Amino acid sequence: MEKVTYNTNSDDYQICSLFAQSLTEVAVVYIARHIPSNTLVAYKKYDLDKMSAEDAELVQDEVILMRQLNHSAILPLLSSFVADHKVVCILPLMGYGSAADVMLRHFPTGLPEAAIATIMKAVLQALVYLHAKGIIHRAVRGSHTLISAEGNVVLSGLRYACPVISAGKWQRKMHSYPASIMAPNVNWLSPELLKQNLEGYDERSDIYSVGITACELANGIAPYQGVSKTLMLIEKVQGILRPLMDSSTYIPRVPIEGENGADMCQDDDDYSSIIANRTFSNAFHNVTELCLETQDHLRPVAKDLLTHAFFKNAAPPAALPRLLYPAMPILQDNLPDNQEDLESMMVCEKLYSLAIDPVSWDF
Amino acid sequence: MLSGNNDEEQDIMFFHRVDSDEIIYQTEKKSCKIIGKYVMGDLLGEGSYGKVKEMLDSETLCRRAVKILKKRKLRRIPNGEQNVQREIQLLKTLRHKNVIELVDVMYNPEKEKMYLVMEYCVGVLQDMLESTSNKKFPNWQAHWYFIQLMEGLQYLHSSGIIHKDIKPGNLLITLDDTLKISDLGVAEALDRFAPDDTCYTSQGSPAFQPPEIANGMEKFSGFKVDIWSSGVTLYNLVTGKYPFEGETIFKLFECIGQGDVVIPEELEDQLIDLLKGMLHKDPEFRIPLENIIRHPWVIRKPPKTLERVPIPPLRGDELHTMTVLPYLYDYHYGDQSSSTQYISERQLNEENKISMQEACTNNKGSSSKKTCKSDGRQTSCLNIRKLATCHPS
Repeated sequence: MEKVTYNTNSDDYQICSLFAQSLTEVAVVYIARHIPSNTLVAYKKYDLDKMSAEDAELVQDEVILMRQLNHSAILPLLSSFVADHKVVCILPLMGYGSAADVMLRHFPTGLPEAAIATIMKAVLQALVYLHAKGIIHRAVRGSHTLISAEGNVVLSGLRYACPVISAGKWQRKMHSYPASIMAPNVNWLSPELLKQNLEGYDERSDIYSVGITACELANGIAPYQGVSKTLMLIEKVQGILRPLMDSSTYIPRVPIEGENGADMCQDDDDYSSIIANRTFSNAFHNVTELCLETQDHLRPVAKDLLTHAFFKNAAPPAALPRLLYPAMPILQDNLPDNQEDLESMMVCEKLYSLAIDPVSWDF
Repeated sequence: MLSGNNDEEQDIMFFHRVDSDEIIYQTEKKSCKIIGKYVMGDLLGEGSYGKVKEMLDSETLCRRAVKILKKRKLRRIPNGEQNVQREIQLLKTLRHKNVIELVDVMYNPEKEKMYLVMEYCVGVLQDMLESTSNKKFPNWQAHWYFIQLMEGLQYLHSSGIIHKDIKPGNLLITLDDTLKISDLGVAEALDRFAPDDTCYTSQGSPAFQPPEIANGMEKFSGFKVDIWSSGVTLYNLVTGKYPFEGETIFKLFECIGQGDVVIPEELEDQLIDLLKGMLHKDPEFRIPLENIIRHPWVIRKPPKTLERVPIPPLRGDELHTMTVLPYLYDYHYGDQSSSTQYISERQLNEENKISMQEACTNNKGSSSKKTCKSDGRQTSCLNIRKLATCHPS
């Protein structure tokens, strides 16, 4: 797979199946076969007509940035080209999809702690690399954490990253706010970034997002789901945290914020009893608290966090497929059979409106 | 050092003015106001056209500024309504990192108010200059802003737009120290098929007008007007003075009309050369933009010698914290007693605003006199202030 060169000729890729639709609905990911090498790749197609000028620029920045990066824990860009009116990115096929995807489909109450340790470790390794290069990711979240069939974890979503070097200087603090009309990652962002004041933020903002992602994957729900953005803002600014939910943090009979109506009750009860009967390790609790430190100057950097006891015992990536069972990766021989979806998708694309189930997965 | 002392004086001044009765009064008044998807914050500035307030986009949580225009007020300003129309139309088409971005326009027909939602900026070059003792920037900082002004101006000119009102008061600074050319109220968009940049009218600020306008020429080169006023701006940034002065507009125009600029000799030779080129009396010989950006003073990065002039605090807040936060506490937590501490900050902000306004009218001498008074009160208010500064984290 390493030796193959992925060319920029769209005729060399045969779309086999629909994989996922990006969160912001500007991109669709297909599974495609690279005919010359007979390998499967992810074929991500951006429809520039559906994007704002700002978002289109983000895609351009992402392609430029991804071409400059080379790290085992960062999603590589195999090739990119323009086909018809679409921008296509050829990416390695990550068989399990994203960690958030696995969670939503197979672990509705949260991934096992051991799996989270392996995932977080890889994300932190990617961040050590990015931060050393002067890049702040600004979009660390479950859906940007992709898992290959072999269990390798890579970080994606570099569209929102920003360089620390500006005006020829390594800036101590950043002030730019991620420019996207959709602002899909806002719930994962750190308080200092959201505050947008003269104090600014630095690479430790990503560490906060790692903490939120840990809670997301462990709790089985997206952070601040059902909470208004402005309430999330003032909670973060005040340092009010929504912790890992297990027996140590479980408070009986207090409904979770955002619950609405009787139909939620049954689910809530099931969920509550699972929470009440599980206990995350102290190391996990501790590492999450360190990440979610409200004051950024007290928060550890990625390099220091990796020395934490929680990651010392983290399982190697090869163990991830076992930890994620019953989730199964997409491989050559089990391509999802959604030819109908695919066909309707192709038709819909022409009709310019699609109504398939959006999967919460975003490269 | 001197500016630091100033801040202290102002802080102490407002401590002395805080009245506990007023705290309660203010808390009643402050409730969350939402316009469209935006949450309204505090006042950032005020102009003849209306107020500029802070806003927060409740979906992206991005800070914004909003220019609130009242039709009633606009009618009283000569060409007020046309100028606003023109500004909206121009800004909608423009997109450059050194030109202010118009994000959204909202209209409330009942109140006859218009809301121009813009990028959020923390400071105005003019206010930054005024916050210093000698009203000027170190050379390297002036250079940093000047090159951005030229980049923005180059974009405007290449889009066929003549700003006509370049001055430190119209140059805004964002959180990341980017300069934004703002206020295109008197700008002129050249006709797409116009043979050249000839203009016939100008409504810009008198002190920044070129000799051809001061002398009442019927027509003149628009681009060269912006070059001149950028030259006056640069002169102002590096010397703290204006090249031309006059007690009345007639005397000022007489002075400009003669066009004899005295450039202080203590400036660097290259800078003197650039200023002479930009402030050339004859627009024909005035240095064009493409030569400015290639000028030795512009392409060379000056050494960072003196301390940076910071963005002056807003009502005592050096960090320029989101002013929408207290409104959001009110909105989400309502009457809960826990929110009292934030209310007191709001109240303090109001107080500070008043004292800041007074500080502008009073001179330094009288304000330092005030600091000697009423020691007991200072401490009681110091507590409130402590809470207030703590709350964002």
